[in-house]
Amino acid sequence: MPTVWVLYRQRLRRDRWQLLSWVLSIGVLAWFAVEAITKTFGDEASRAQVLKLATATPAILVLRGLARGPGLDSFTFFEIFTFLALLAGFMNTFMAVRHTRAEEESGRAELVSATAAGRWAPFAATVLHGIVANLVLAAAVALGFMGGGLAPAGSVVAGLATGAVGLAFLGVGLLAAEFFSTSRAANGISATLVMVAYLLRGFGDATGSVSPDGMTVTAAWPSWISPIGWGQQTFAYTGNQLWPLLLPVGLATVCGAVVVLIMSRRDVGASILVGRRGRWEARPWLRGPFALAWRLQQGSIIGWCAGGFATGLITGSLGSAIQSTLNSNASITAALREMIQAQGTSMTQLLVAALFEIAGVLAAACGVQAILRMRQEEAAGTAEFVLSEPVGRVRWLGSFMGLGAISVVLVMAFTALGAWLSLVASGDTSTAVGDVWATGVAQLPAALIYLAVPAVVFVVWPRATIPAGWALLGIGVVLGVYGGMVGLDQKIVDLSPFTHTPVVTDTGTDWSGGFWMLGIAAVIAVIALVTVPRREVGTA
Amino acid sequence: MDTVIQTTDLHKSFGPVKALDGLDLEVHAGEIHGFLGPNGAGKSTTLRILLGLARASSGSASVLGKDPWGDAVELHRRVASVPGDVSIWPNLSGGEAIDLISRLRGGVDDAAYRERKQQLCELFDFDPSKKGRAYSKGNRQKVALIAALVTPAEVYLLDEPTSGLDPLMEAVFTREVRRLSRENGASVLLSSHILSEVEQLADRVSIIRSGRIVDGGTLDSLRHLTRTEISFAQDSVDTTALAALSQIHDLAVAEGRIKFGVDSDRVHEVLPLLGSLGVKGLLVAPPSLEELFLRHYGDQVAPAAPEPTHDGAPHRRRHRTVAKTGA
Ligand SMILES: Nc1ncnc2c1ncn2[C@@H]1O[C@H](COP(=O)(O)OP(=O)(O)O)[C@@H](O)[C@H]1O
Ligand SMILES: [Mg+2]
Repeated sequence: MPTVWVLYRQRLRRDRWQLLSWVLSIGVLAWFAVEAITKTFGDEASRAQVLKLATATPAILVLRGLARGPGLDSFTFFEIFTFLALLAGFMNTFMAVRHTRAEEESGRAELVSATAAGRWAPFAATVLHGIVANLVLAAAVALGFMGGGLAPAGSVVAGLATGAVGLAFLGVGLLAAEFFSTSRAANGISATLVMVAYLLRGFGDATGSVSPDGMTVTAAWPSWISPIGWGQQTFAYTGNQLWPLLLPVGLATVCGAVVVLIMSRRDVGASILVGRRGRWEARPWLRGPFALAWRLQQGSIIGWCAGGFATGLITGSLGSAIQSTLNSNASITAALREMIQAQGTSMTQLLVAALFEIAGVLAAACGVQAILRMRQEEAAGTAEFVLSEPVGRVRWLGSFMGLGAISVVLVMAFTALGAWLSLVASGDTSTAVGDVWATGVAQLPAALIYLAVPAVVFVVWPRATIPAGWALLGIGVVLGVYGGMVGLDQKIVDLSPFTHTPVVTDTGTDWSGGFWMLGIAAVIAVIALVTVPRREVGTA
Repeated sequence: MDTVIQTTDLHKSFGPVKALDGLDLEVHAGEIHGFLGPNGAGKSTTLRILLGLARASSGSASVLGKDPWGDAVELHRRVASVPGDVSIWPNLSGGEAIDLISRLRGGVDDAAYRERKQQLCELFDFDPSKKGRAYSKGNRQKVALIAALVTPAEVYLLDEPTSGLDPLMEAVFTREVRRLSRENGASVLLSSHILSEVEQLADRVSIIRSGRIVDGGTLDSLRHLTRTEISFAQDSVDTTALAALSQIHDLAVAEGRIKFGVDSDRVHEVLPLLGSLGVKGLLVAPPSLEELFLRHYGDQVAPAAPEPTHDGAPHRRRHRTVAKTGA
């Protein structure tokens, strides 16, 4: 037992900041949701109106949940629970893989297994660590809802539901770690399963049966094969049922048992699925730093583009669904405008603006990642191979930045394509359909700033590249996308590039913010390219 | 003789750490030059400066008459290298990595290249079809070695190239480098912290310690600087005559034997006296480079200290240095 305790303490220590930020963010998000809903839809009548709109629009249900009447507490649960559960899922799969497959891959697990700890103590410590983390998460969510003023009993049920879903995905993550030989693959597959669980219940909720008054929805069967769907079945505040949580806890137990079975039969470091073999020779196009940059990032660029395309598709289907059911009832448009915090005159424009803002953040993240990838190359030591050959530093940096710019454009192009396709398919003929291309272009300048600024950081302060890249993006999103909503001072909101993204409307679009940002991005990019020859190459 | 690599009063600091402290290194055209020194002595730093990856704090360096920092791209067409700490792309196969590196150098993908690559893979018993993350340390090292050897270059900068290789593979490496030097007239700078590795290959060596060259020359000339150890049975030999000789150092009596060291180039001057003393059980131990080397590594290894301490103390000292620079 003491060994497990020592290993548990080590996990806690290693994860303290990371886990704390996950748990706090999820808890604060719960609290924030209550606050925002109280502020925007203060009275029951407006909530009932929005609920009616939502239950009539299957696409909205995908992103929300199962409706249970217009009460503030049940409405909040409807609005935010599935998203909290989604985050809990990611938190747990990453945590599970971090302490199992990643450790084995790095060889550290072998060191530990060679000691008195054996192979079971580290696993037990990871499970303990996961259970405690999910209990803390449950408490944080419960406190978040209570802090917002919701009923304690229901808040505890909502918290437990979040924790139980988290526990289920802890099991999924641990199991995935047994199957794949790399933490990258294990993380990828288990995060995908979290997404699938979210979408499954989204599909089940959207195709569920709506009560005649439009106030409640009963899920269809797909929701019942998703851990997030199980969590929803607690119907916190209105139902307060705990028995559905036996399902996620049971899934976690089954996963754990299978893991034990596999672990008792395999070597440390081995996996059920063996990694694919590679090529004997490089493909003919793999020559030069640009080709290398593509070879290293092709998977993630395709992923970003798929994300953009999916966002685009949602835009179109949401827009058309709302149009057809309500024919743009003015008061509902206003309500929805509040709900998604966007500008625009027609309903379609409103949705395009709101969802393309998300796609714009996606594109910016893609830009940031292009530069972070280069820093990872340097930190790992593989950059040294390239720069010991006749490849100048400007060409090296230029290749990664160039590919970054291309992928940013691709992400927006796929978003616009997705939106255009789904709008055309829905039979929408308004001018907003053509506007999707312009709206896509409008997101590019801000995203390109997020390519240029990390590039400069990479040149002048290499070690700060990765934290600075994500921090700048996070601050930009919080200030630019949510800043106005929580009533921050305009001067502070103006600091974010996203604030200056041109808004495409049929009353005339002001493109000046975009041109300014494009100019700034270009100047910063040139500074990075001019200064990089003076920089040493190192892992530190 | 032409000089291909020259550094003069080279300094490099990392904050308070002086990695190089006035390094003067010279490598002649066509030679294999051993660059020997303990861990943390500054070998990798020197090679990184010669590759233009790091910039000297002061002093000058030239490779093939050019400035490694300013003319890096041009130089890299003529220089091949193996980095000190090899890591390869986890999602590229070994074969892909080798092809990529040689294409970056401007090598052409012709049949001759493929044949040479195939030949090296067989010689090093290397499977190029595994993904980078699946290779062991030794196999990662082979990727770097094959990539460096597969296309011809004028100068090779090899930083501890055999680390992680088994003795059989080390022998393959030694043979390949010797061939490069003989057949192509290439110049090689070979860094190592193990003498025996360099001893087989190098025409000349430079010994680096704390960022400075402390000794150098051909292996034979280095041997001349060492002392030959002589010992014989004590019996009842009168050693006063011996002690008076200036060629003799550290005369001592231990375990019934008389021991002393003689400057290696003056051994013949001592022998007549030993003959006239009629000594029994005479042992003449040839100079060991290892000893010279350890003297430069350690703080104060006495040349005539008894055998066991030779093997014990300096090794421990070496391990301590490893631990210090391990991070
Ligand atoms: N990037 C760096 N930052 C700080 N110190 C360094 C860095 N690179 C090398 N050093 C220090 O410089 C000294 C020489 O290191 P190195 O050239 O790697 O030695 P060697 O290759 O001979 O083992 C060591 O003390 C090492 O700690
Ligand atoms: Mg080194």
